[in-house]
Amino acid sequence: MKELKKNITRKITSHFSDAAVKEYEGNRVDFTVKKETIPAILFYLKDEMGYNHLSHISCVDWIEEKAFEVIFILWSYSDHLKVFIHTRVDRENPVMDNIDMIWPQANTYEREIKEMYGIQFEGLEAPEEFLLEDWEDMPPMRRDFDTHAYAMKTFWDRQDARKDAQDVRETITRRTGEELPDVAKKYSR
Amino acid sequence: MEEILHYTWGAVVSFVLAFAVGITYMGLNRKVTARVQNRIGPPWYQNFLDVLKLGSKKSAIHHGTMHHLGPAFLMVTSVMSLLIIPILNDGKFFPNLNFQGDLIFLIYIMTFGPLGMALGAGQTGNPNSAIGVTRGLAQMAGFEIPWVMALVALMIQFKTTSIVDLMNVQAETGRWLMFSSPFAFIAAIMAMFGMFRYSPFDIVGAPSELASGPMSENGGKYLFTMMSSGSVFTFAKLTLYTDLFLGGADNLLVLIAKTFVLYMIPVLYGLVSPRYRTEQAVRWFWGWPSFFGLLAILQASFF
Amino acid sequence: MNDKVSQKIVDIIQNYARQHSLWVLAYGTGCGAIEIPPTMTSRYDAERLGVRGAATPRQADVLLITGYLTTKTLKRVIRVYEQMQDPKYVIGFGSCTINGGMYFDSYNTIKALDRYLPVDVYINGCMPRPEAVLKGFAKLQKLIQAGKADGSKKYKENLDWYRANQKEVIPVWRMPEFNW
Repeated sequence: MKELKKNITRKITSHFSDAAVKEYEGNRVDFTVKKETIPAILFYLKDEMGYNHLSHISCVDWIEEKAFEVIFILWSYSDHLKVFIHTRVDRENPVMDNIDMIWPQANTYEREIKEMYGIQFEGLEAPEEFLLEDWEDMPPMRRDFDTHAYAMKTFWDRQDARKDAQDVRETITRRTGEELPDVAKKYSR
Repeated sequence: MEEILHYTWGAVVSFVLAFAVGITYMGLNRKVTARVQNRIGPPWYQNFLDVLKLGSKKSAIHHGTMHHLGPAFLMVTSVMSLLIIPILNDGKFFPNLNFQGDLIFLIYIMTFGPLGMALGAGQTGNPNSAIGVTRGLAQMAGFEIPWVMALVALMIQFKTTSIVDLMNVQAETGRWLMFSSPFAFIAAIMAMFGMFRYSPFDIVGAPSELASGPMSENGGKYLFTMMSSGSVFTFAKLTLYTDLFLGGADNLLVLIAKTFVLYMIPVLYGLVSPRYRTEQAVRWFWGWPSFFGLLAILQASFF
Repeated sequence: MNDKVSQKIVDIIQNYARQHSLWVLAYGTGCGAIEIPPTMTSRYDAERLGVRGAATPRQADVLLITGYLTTKTLKRVIRVYEQMQDPKYVIGFGSCTINGGMYFDSYNTIKALDRYLPVDVYINGCMPRPEAVLKGFAKLQKLIQAGKADGSKKYKENLDWYRANQKEVIPVWRMPEFNW
């Protein structure tokens, strides 16, 4: 296991100079690259190192640093290693390259990220709507979208709890006459 | 004039008896199924309540005249086939219109109902109905072969085409036709599975596979008509089998006992068997049942 | 004398038949649908009450809204509800139909089902156990017997209010008109 991780780390850092490595326990290795090298590093990992399986493409919204982080998770059947590839994309104008010629399932992941975060993938051919129907607001998974306020405005304003609401445990103990244990008393209203 | 009133009275009484007994048998089917599956099922009169509920729906939605008349064709088939099948041996309480050649008439009438239903289902434009109807007609082409072969064997052996004559033969010789022409009986029982449309041949109206096929656009009063005609037709078929093979019945209790025993054969077999696809079902019908039908015809011609 | 008494007798017979033979549309809208198979099968048998699954909306009486409804599903459920034949009942299943439940601050699910479809009986829980589901059916039976389960009549009379609420949530409205 350690040799396999050393092997992959050495190969990637020798071929791609801008890859930063972070090692984890177990069978996981992380690399952080610039967004222009993404197609090259993914082709390299699939064709030459045998990482045939794309598990997921995920996205994180770093609103304080004004960037989106896109993460590709790859798995190798022969080495049993997970490789995570991180990139940062500018938040004002989020554009990335389309990689669904390498793995066909990347089409679905990219559609979801486009709809939920608003990252445009150049060259992606897909119908417009995916999960949300007739959505005109901003992409809903961004952190500056206040979902609670949107729900209150569009749907029904849920009223406050009843002022005479009673605790379930206390009602039951009043009825049966047994004692509340100390552990449960801190949850009483 | 008196004859017409007499026969009309006979038709009405037969219909009421067939309706009551048929619906009770369907309820008993659900009860037996539930008990085999280790649970308490609905009460035996559950199908009466189902039929009453369907009849008291306040709106009847239909898609045109042919769709409106579709269930009526099924009802016409059931009532007409009930008119020529003798219910009791002597025809005292349930007068009938028997004539020479009514066995051949019966074979043709039994295929008229599903064809009318197909026309009605075709007008709805629902693709589930169209697929269900083609499957039903294909299956009918399957089970008609052994059924007609069994009946032809009986007709050749006793040189008659009337149901009453076949019953008289059984009364004279004292032997049921089940023992005189056993191969015809076996072929007819195997064809009975296809006629009743329980498992394994229930792909026509399966709820989860096809959204119940031809019945998928009918609700309320149309479904009431279809369920009633289904139960009357069930009773008519069971009585036909009793008359032809089990020696008829002298009074109502014996008739109910014999039809119940015959009814349990497809029900109990259907409980333990999965569903055939249409081509598998048709291929099965043209296999062993047709072989027994051929044996029946050979036995009738040469022995 | 002929009108009132005979009407009452006919009503009693019809309500008795309707309450003991409820056909539920086999459509699970949300995550509560996982409690329907245990209720219908051998251990908590719902067929004793006459409850049975129906395949199409034309044959069904009861629409069981199990759990949350997104706006995408609401459009289809309204279409299904309007295809069912009178008299029809709606049972709201789980706490998401009552006030939004676990997804009370979600941008995609509706919060109060009663504004979009007329609900007769609520069964609360997340998910309700099969015993609670059977008790809900028994309550619906009592309502039918008393003649108070008239959700479909309420829908027909207040159609404008229901339509206004539905169109507020579903912006692109491409549905047939309700004429039966």
